[in-house]
Amino acid sequence: MTTGILVYAHNSRSLDYALMSLIAAGLAKKNLNVPVSLVTDPSTVEWMRESNILEKATSVFENLIIVERPITDNQRKLCDGKNESMVPFVNSNRASAYDLTPYNRTLLIDSDYFIFSNRLSEYWNIDDDVLIGQSINDIYSGDRLGYNDRYISEVGINLYWATTVMFSKTPRAKTFFDTVNFVKENYKHYADIFRFDNRQYRNDIAFSVAKHILDGFINLDSGRLPPVLTTLDKDILASVEDNKLTFLISTPLGEKYIPASITDTDIHIMNKQSIIRHGSQLLEMI
Amino acid sequence: MDERLQAALDFSNYQQTFSIQRKTLKEKIEAKLTYGFNGGLFRIDKNLLTFVEVISAKRSNGVVLMDANDNPILIDDLEAFKDEIFSRYFEATNEYYEQYQQLKKSRSVEKLIA
Repeated sequence: MTTGILVYAHNSRSLDYALMSLIAAGLAKKNLNVPVSLVTDPSTVEWMRESNILEKATSVFENLIIVERPITDNQRKLCDGKNESMVPFVNSNRASAYDLTPYNRTLLIDSDYFIFSNRLSEYWNIDDDVLIGQSINDIYSGDRLGYNDRYISEVGINLYWATTVMFSKTPRAKTFFDTVNFVKENYKHYADIFRFDNRQYRNDIAFSVAKHILDGFINLDSGRLPPVLTTLDKDILASVEDNKLTFLISTPLGEKYIPASITDTDIHIMNKQSIIRHGSQLLEMI
Repeated sequence: MDERLQAALDFSNYQQTFSIQRKTLKEKIEAKLTYGFNGGLFRIDKNLLTFVEVISAKRSNGVVLMDANDNPILIDDLEAFKDEIFSRYFEATNEYYEQYQQLKKSRSVEKLIA
């Protein structure tokens, strides 16, 4: 059985997803010791060339899988500490992972998820065909999370986090990804049924609805990856030294920042701008 | 500002960093105590260790254990499984102890995140 990691990167004018995906891939490859492939588009590859990371990318990625850039009008508010901006999110083609992956067992990760341990190695041989990050785990505490971080709506089902998804090339997994795609194509309809906000397409919601349907409309304990340890976008990645990341963590009311550091722990860093600011130091870690 | 209030606020800042550091340390240890075996997923804890120790006195081959999701998992060689989970447990808890002592000794925010 071949195992490997899949990352998506479609650059926008605001965010250098090419750089983030290279860091995420390099760390995942180093710490899980499996190959990584990138799903990207011609303009993002061109940007890699212009920003002088293409050579590094071709050494880190086993395959560059070039697809058409998805057309989307998804815009989302993103914080960089206390600064806010609306940025485009070009990530609506995640359901294509099943067809595009070159591996029998794939770990699909977001480009802002950095793997510093071998924890997820324990899941390669689990019997489940599809596993998804079971919840968000805020580094500060649950106090900063809202209902919509745990459920897809006020009256809805559990929200799984598609930041980490592991799947096998099996008919069941294919059905799962087909269902994700179907939910995406009929997003308004499912928003009416599950009562979620459909103004912006969100992979986490489409994956959660698909899992709920395929689990038989009940809440199953199986098919879960560990909670995704996360720093929010109002937190700031302050420094990267040796194997240590130091953050300024915003308190619940945002009145001050608390310093904290991590080593050897997988982390989802929502403040993408602060990742990019430390891009060169992070690249040295891979 | 009143010195007593300033001292309380300073301690509050220290305590919040301490809590985050302890939480991320527990995460790291929790990861080391997760064991994927033969299609199942086991959490290495007191229950598993004790149960495996007890049943290994009765039988050593072809034992079925319930994993973290209550799925039945066949353990062909129980002795090897037992050695592995005990080894992982000792390694993880020793690391937890050492790093937790380090945290407790750190009396400033700077030392906590060093």
